Amino acid sequence: MALLIGLALAAITLAIAHSGADAASLWRHAYHVPVVVAALRYGVGGVLAALAAVLLFAPFVLPALEREGLTPAVLEGLLTFGLLLGVGVLSAALAGGARRQRTRYDTLAAVQRALDGDTPLDLALARLRACLQARLDATVGLVLHDGTRLAVAGGPSVARGSAVARVLASGAPLCVAHAGGPGPLRRSFVAPLGGRGGVVGAVAVERAGDIPADERRWLPVLAAHLGLALENARLAARQRRFADELAEKVTAATRHVVEMDRMKSEFVAIASHELRTPLTALQGFSELLVMRRFTPAELARIGAIMSAETERLGRIVSDFLDLARLERGLAPPLRLTRVDAAALVGEAVEVLRRARTTHELEVDCPQALPPIDADPDALDRVVKNLVSNAVKYSPAGSRVRVAARAQTGPPAVEITVEDEGPGIAEADRTRIFEPYYRTAAGARTAGGAGLGLAVVKSLVDAHGGTIRADNVMPHGTRMTLVLPAVS
Amino acid sequence: MRALEEPLPREQPGLLHSTPVAALATLAAAWALAFAALPEPATRVVGLAVAHGALLGTALAWTAAGAGRARWSPLEAALVLGAAAAGAALHPLGALAYAAVPAWLVWRHAAWLGARAWRPVPAVAAGAAFGLLLGAHLLVNTALTFGYRVRTGPLVELANWWAYDLGANVLTAELFFRGALFERIYRRWSFAPAAAISTAAAIARYLADPLLPHSPEIAAGATFYMAVLGVGNCWLLARTGSLGPALAAAGFFFGAYRLLAPR
Repeated sequence: MALLIGLALAAITLAIAHSGADAASLWRHAYHVPVVVAALRYGVGGVLAALAAVLLFAPFVLPALEREGLTPAVLEGLLTFGLLLGVGVLSAALAGGARRQRTRYDTLAAVQRALDGDTPLDLALARLRACLQARLDATVGLVLHDGTRLAVAGGPSVARGSAVARVLASGAPLCVAHAGGPGPLRRSFVAPLGGRGGVVGAVAVERAGDIPADERRWLPVLAAHLGLALENARLAARQRRFADELAEKVTAATRHVVEMDRMKSEFVAIASHELRTPLTALQGFSELLVMRRFTPAELARIGAIMSAETERLGRIVSDFLDLARLERGLAPPLRLTRVDAAALVGEAVEVLRRARTTHELEVDCPQALPPIDADPDALDRVVKNLVSNAVKYSPAGSRVRVAARAQTGPPAVEITVEDEGPGIAEADRTRIFEPYYRTAAGARTAGGAGLGLAVVKSLVDAHGGTIRADNVMPHGTRMTLVLPAVS
Repeated sequence: MRALEEPLPREQPGLLHSTPVAALATLAAAWALAFAALPEPATRVVGLAVAHGALLGTALAWTAAGAGRARWSPLEAALVLGAAAAGAALHPLGALAYAAVPAWLVWRHAAWLGARAWRPVPAVAAGAAFGLLLGAHLLVNTALTFGYRVRTGPLVELANWWAYDLGANVLTAELFFRGALFERIYRRWSFAPAAAISTAAAIARYLADPLLPHSPEIAAGATFYMAVLGVGNCWLLARTGSLGPALAAAGFFFGAYRLLAPR
């Protein structure tokens, strides 16, 4: 295009020369065409084209001026000089202004596109920088404080005392000429990015040569737009994050509800079975008592069995009642009294030892344990439950050790029940105290409704104590119960 | 990116900061003394040395890295230029002594010249083309307008003029009006005022030059061509950061100008 413009100027000059080399030649008006085209195509190129036209036309006007003085033809030629320069400057200014305006709208739209989508901050800044560099024809730096750190695009960091650091501190735009170094003089214009919390960053535009006044007026507008766009992008990202988190929570809650529902269904089935077993025994023996006559010895044995089954039934119902209280958020009712833990543990194990002959039950309780404030019945249930569990989940003939000892520091009594069973998987260890929860292995090998340990934990909690489960080497489980002692 | 990585530049000094006032005053006093006491040819030599020495020395003082480093450079420059001008006045080939001026510049201010002078080559070629076109236009236009012819000799006289242009006229004008004055204003403001002021100052310097024929037509033509050359050279310097293209443009333009033979 530049070549065409040059050829057009040369052709017009030749036409003037061939038409008599007159300062008032009509061909002189044709100079305006390449001048306007150059202005539309190149902006400031219009001024250069006008200057070239004046230089080319001057040899037709100035000799006439020298020869004939200020004739009407010479005046027309001189007027053409002025018109060409005026048209060149004006059209270059208008075309340049229109181009700049279009670039600005394009830039604003491109900024929105660059920040579209859920992009990490550093990537978003890099995209923005590339977009601005392409449109502003300058080196661009972007700095944004995202609450925890200063993200920088266009350099490794913000140097102390640099133009950007100054703008971040003052919040006022700054135009700097960078002297020294090879190459042409470079200028930087740094504008603050505004956010809800004041200055949240800065945009720096740097190029060789001028940063014109109208660009310096526009850059703070762009910076305000950038700040707003980045703020919106950040808020949108946060909203999306919240929505994702909420969806995750809803999914987890739904999964939990489904799991609870499944566990309750399973519990109903197990509980029915657990209740039916003693009821069936009671029903059977009571029918036998109606239909047959028994010897006193037989009657005593049947009575003992019916009593044991009734006791079992009562224990299951107690567990149900405790669980109901637990689910309503109520602590189990306790009748606290001063209790000798050693005696209580010894009696509970002795009762179980008489009933269970399949395991070897060992007790290690020193007599000089500090007293504790506890409900003896509740504590008895806790110990029996833990020992029963140890017996239930360990092979017949193995050893179950029950020990109690005093703890120093805050005075407390520690009771441990240790078996030689398979132990509890890590994943199950935190969940075995949840109501209805049964380990997969436990569900396969033993009965129960999954309430025992939940009730135990609620009772221990009500006493202000703690309970935890550990695996012991080479195999086995240790349940450790700590209850505060009377100081 | 310098706005991110470099400390802020120091506050811009005043426009006349680090002007070698004492040296310039000494030069002025020397010229006044010579004007009062010496005969015409010697006065011309002293005047040339003082004028060009003042421009060159001030340019060096304004652009020297350390303050006060080039405080007496106008005197040094005037001495070198005076010697060259005396050589030119005393012998037909004495103008070749003007080569001492760039040699002195390279010797005393090599670092400064290294940073500012002859780079990059394509830009220097563009500057040379610009100077050639403008010079050619000058030849055609003056031939058509005033009936001037283009002379091709005597070669020794032409060589003397070219040596003067390269060693004094072009060198001192470009170093002062573009390398120092334009640069200093351009750092402070934008291109348009810097180019306008430095070009106006350069035009004033040429209009006041006793070597230029004094007639309204010549003054108008000189103003026009010096304005185009001045703005063009400012643009070349701003664009490339090098004085090389401006020196080439002015060198070729004045080279063409010396070919003009008045009626």
